[in-house]
Amino acid sequence: MSGEELPQTEANVLKGHEGAVLTARFNRDGNYCLSGGKDRTIRLWNPHRGIHIKTYKSHAREVRDVHVTPDNSKICSCGGDRQVFYWDVSTGRVIRKFRGHDSEVNAVKFNEYASVVVSAGYDRSLRAWDCRSHSTEPIQIIDTFLDSVMSVCLTKTEIIAGSVDGTVRTFDIRMGRELSDDLGQPVNCISLSNDGNCVLASCLDSTLRLLDRTTGELLQEYKGHTCKSFKMDCCLTNSDAHVVGGSEDGRLFFWDLVDASVVSSFRAHSSVVTSVSYHPKDNCMITASVDGSVRVWKAKAS
Amino acid sequence: MENDEDDFVFFGTPIEREEDTISRKKKSIAEASGQLRTLVPWKQEVRDEEGRRRFHGAFSGGFSAGYFNTVGSKEGWTPQTFTSSRKNRAEIKQQDLSNFLDEDEKAELEGNSLGTSMQFDTFGFTAAEIARKQSEKEQNERPSAIPGPAPDELVVPATDPIGVRLMLKMGWRRGQSIKSSKSTHYDARREARKAFLALGGSEDAKVEGDMETVAELPSDDINQLQKSTPVYVLNPKQDMYGLGYDPFKGAPEFRENKRSHLPGNRESGHKRVIPKKDGLFSFKPRNVAPGFGIGALEELDAEDEDVYASGYDFEAFVEEDEEPSTLAIEDKKKSSSKQQGVLRGFKAASNTDYQLERFDPPVVPKDFVPHHKFPATLEVNQKSTEVPPPEVPPPVDNTLKVLIEGVATLVARCGTLFEELSREKNQSNPLFDFLNGGDGSDYYKRKLWEARQKHGVKTKPLLSEKVAPNAQKMSAETRGNILGEKPLNRTAKDLKPVVPAADSVNLQFHLADTFTEPASFVEPTEIAKPFQHDPAKQERFEQYLKEKYRGGLRTIDAGGSSKMSEAARARERLEFEAAAEAIKQGKWGKESQLSSQPLLGASAGRGLQFTSGGSEINGVSQTEEIVKKSMFPKREEFQWRPASLLCKRFDLIDPYMGKPPPPPRSRSKLDSLIFMPDYIKAATQETNTISKNLSSPQVDEKRRTDVMEAEDKAEVENVEVENVERPVDLYKAIFSDDSDDEEENININQEEDPTKKIEVANTALSRLVAGDFLESLGKELGLEVPPDQPYIPPPTTQKPTKVQDIPQKHEPINSDAHKNTSTQNTKEFNHEIVKKETKFKREKSPSDDEKSRRRSKREYDSTSDSSDGYRDRHGSSRHKGRKKEHRKHSKHRHHESSSRSRHSADKEYRDSKKEKRKRRD
Repeated sequence: MSGEELPQTEANVLKGHEGAVLTARFNRDGNYCLSGGKDRTIRLWNPHRGIHIKTYKSHAREVRDVHVTPDNSKICSCGGDRQVFYWDVSTGRVIRKFRGHDSEVNAVKFNEYASVVVSAGYDRSLRAWDCRSHSTEPIQIIDTFLDSVMSVCLTKTEIIAGSVDGTVRTFDIRMGRELSDDLGQPVNCISLSNDGNCVLASCLDSTLRLLDRTTGELLQEYKGHTCKSFKMDCCLTNSDAHVVGGSEDGRLFFWDLVDASVVSSFRAHSSVVTSVSYHPKDNCMITASVDGSVRVWKAKAS
Repeated sequence: MENDEDDFVFFGTPIEREEDTISRKKKSIAEASGQLRTLVPWKQEVRDEEGRRRFHGAFSGGFSAGYFNTVGSKEGWTPQTFTSSRKNRAEIKQQDLSNFLDEDEKAELEGNSLGTSMQFDTFGFTAAEIARKQSEKEQNERPSAIPGPAPDELVVPATDPIGVRLMLKMGWRRGQSIKSSKSTHYDARREARKAFLALGGSEDAKVEGDMETVAELPSDDINQLQKSTPVYVLNPKQDMYGLGYDPFKGAPEFRENKRSHLPGNRESGHKRVIPKKDGLFSFKPRNVAPGFGIGALEELDAEDEDVYASGYDFEAFVEEDEEPSTLAIEDKKKSSSKQQGVLRGFKAASNTDYQLERFDPPVVPKDFVPHHKFPATLEVNQKSTEVPPPEVPPPVDNTLKVLIEGVATLVARCGTLFEELSREKNQSNPLFDFLNGGDGSDYYKRKLWEARQKHGVKTKPLLSEKVAPNAQKMSAETRGNILGEKPLNRTAKDLKPVVPAADSVNLQFHLADTFTEPASFVEPTEIAKPFQHDPAKQERFEQYLKEKYRGGLRTIDAGGSSKMSEAARARERLEFEAAAEAIKQGKWGKESQLSSQPLLGASAGRGLQFTSGGSEINGVSQTEEIVKKSMFPKREEFQWRPASLLCKRFDLIDPYMGKPPPPPRSRSKLDSLIFMPDYIKAATQETNTISKNLSSPQVDEKRRTDVMEAEDKAEVENVEVENVERPVDLYKAIFSDDSDDEEENININQEEDPTKKIEVANTALSRLVAGDFLESLGKELGLEVPPDQPYIPPPTTQKPTKVQDIPQKHEPINSDAHKNTSTQNTKEFNHEIVKKETKFKREKSPSDDEKSRRRSKREYDSTSDSSDGYRDRHGSSRHKGRKKEHRKHSKHRHHESSSRSRHSADKEYRDSKKEKRKRRD
């Protein structure tokens, strides 16, 4: 993919959040997106038409992460109020609240079957919550982390989480083992490549690191942006050709996956880019920023 | 009659008939005698002979003695009827103590009023009290013209108090004032002196002095003074109020005011002022806002003063603010005392009983100097007199130097005790020789002295007189010299001795405290190099230090660091500051070089922190970065056990399925020591009993031998297997709840039997059991039972539930055993049993068959949605069934068996049955 095909033109600005937007996520098919922010709301948008669809209010503190089930029926969200909320999309009601984290929850994800919500907390733990039963107790608590767990990713068989203790830990449920990849730098965010073979970790030394998941080998480092104190997302494009990351100065960076050169960088927001999410199929992405806006980016051609 | 009744209209509920109460009574009697006894005690109700409950409500634990349901009276508790206070105010009566006392208490109280015994009634108070009571009583009895209590003065105790009696015995007469014998003696002397005066007429100072005192004293009223007047005479009743009535009772501040207006009191000028002072407004301090009250316990604050009410001041108070002369006070006192008690037609006594006693201030010794001397003289005070040790070049050894300095600082701060302590401690340490006059002792002395100077100056307030004059004396040149300015060559030599070294150090420290760091402390920093390994950095650091101690504005361009980023520079600045601080404290060197020294332990905190910071920063060197790169990412692998439910939800097979759950973390060796052998023992015993039971003649011969073989094998294997499995199972039995895991555990155990052999063996066994079951069923149904089935099972419909379930721990063992041995045999007799079954089956009623089938079907339906396969369940059922039989025989009770597992056992029976049916078909 050449630089021209990267989503660099602003297609829509989704405005509505009051205060910083901390997370923005596409749904599975990429037709909708969800955002959550410091105004304690979760908003559902149609990013392609720029329409605000629904607002979910129940959080008592800021919303730090949100995730939708593949069938778009449920949302899970988390934030500063130490709870994981399990929402019904259509009614906008909270189905369940999972309490148990001792402090702020940084990230949540559904598993493949939307039967489990895995949350990563500041309390150095990962917790798996059961959506099927009515139990409010976590199915499992993983507390091998030494510091706040910032980000979590799930595959069909694994739970992968990045922590401020500098590790990216892979919990292989099938094998019953834990792989800990110590990067030496606090890990801010992790993101899986679409082929599932690599994991991209954003470290607080302003470096994105690409790890081979099978060997734990460091494949590449991507530098140029600033990421020192904020929880900022990074991701790979849907073709796994480029690495996308925000910067604390409001810029957006595109690196070539292989040679780590900055393919493109431009000012996307006036303030810290907190979240990036790439469309699963199209050349489209959304970014969220502290400036309170969610922007939709598309390739020039389209 | 009926018509009549129709005409009546009833309202309300009819009163209970007597029959009803009688019936109730009867019932209560019946209950008391019969049924109630069968009830558990806490369900029984206590009723009286009328059938009413004796214990009730919140008091069910109590006993309703006396009047039931009441408060101890027949009427019960009746609330006081409401009386409008508007209409009958008088009826509201005040409560007093007697309202709350019982009769006996009242009687007690009457008898016991506390008072002084008459015998010891010194002042006659008790007697007076009694007398007054007596008079009151009398008064009550016969109403007199004057209502109310009689005034105290009129009621005199009948007996003399003991004090009075004593006084009388001593020669005192009634009405006489009690006067010290000294005054009479004095009077006599004065008389004598008077006579002497009249006689001699000579005048000297002494006599004159005496004369003065004489003048003060009244001369001729001894007799008058001897009489004491009762109070009521002194304060005659002048008003028209009734006896005992006090118009100022509620407002005492008016009393003085009133008195000042009395005609007899208007005589002196002062008089008018005094009552005003004590009068209406003066009881509050001035300047208080008149409108605001202040509580009795509150102090007047600045904010309570009324800022705006200054104009409200009374003129009269102003003159009182002035300090009146002592004479005036004296005068005032005299006159006031004079005026107070004077009756008309009498003259005020010039002499009074009241004499102001005065105490002279303590005499200050002539040689007293108003300076406080501290018992242990501080070193500070000595500094002017003490000859400072000569300045000595520091020892060559840098370590030693730093050590000496550190010790000196500490000693100065903590006192000589510390020195002794460290000397004692480090006697053998050659480094501390300087404490014992060894190497570097001179330098130590000097440093100690310097530190002491500094410490003293710091502790002593700067206004200390000793320092100030010296400082003032200094000329510009000397000051310059002290500050280390390079003097002109000419004066350099001359001036050195002029300024005492102590002062110079002193001044330096003063200046240091005010704006710059002393030069003496810059010096060591040149030796202690915190950034030795990085010369450029060290250079910058030195530069920084220089700038720092130069004072004033710092140059922005810190030398050589222009290449650095702003952030890096800031960080370095912080670092330098920390380093400088550490050096100033004299700890840098110590920490880095002598951290093993015990005496530095106290001050280790800051230094350590700093060194770690330094190392971290230094670590960002290029080489280390490379090392880092090669080091990270570093992969580690651990075992991690996902929760089985998690696996289930992820639709994965639990990798640890069947493996023992992770043992509790706080598992000690003791646990295993205690539990393991015990367990094994129990297990072996169990198997023994089982085999014994099996060998009983009741059991089918064929089966018996077969099973025996199996059991023997099992016994052999038991011990080894137990070692691995048992403790875990025990934990499971103890810690796991039976609800959900039970089922899963079954599966887990199931998973363990991988070989088909076991399966075969188990099916055989379960069939065996099922056959047994069917036999019994047939028997129950009144069918023919073959003669070779000797033992009679309990009623079969309930059999599965009644039978104690086997704990799962046994399953693998037994199955192992069977797998090895019984396959062949069981197969053989299987046929037989099956045959038997078919026979029974045919005879069995179709309805029963139908029922069982339906039941089993339901069972499958209910389990079909769970993820465990049918096969597993089935397999486990075989174990269950097999095992159950043993259990039945052994009658071994297992506490861990749960209703759930029993239920599953039930299920499994049916399963096996069904399978058999299938097979038959």
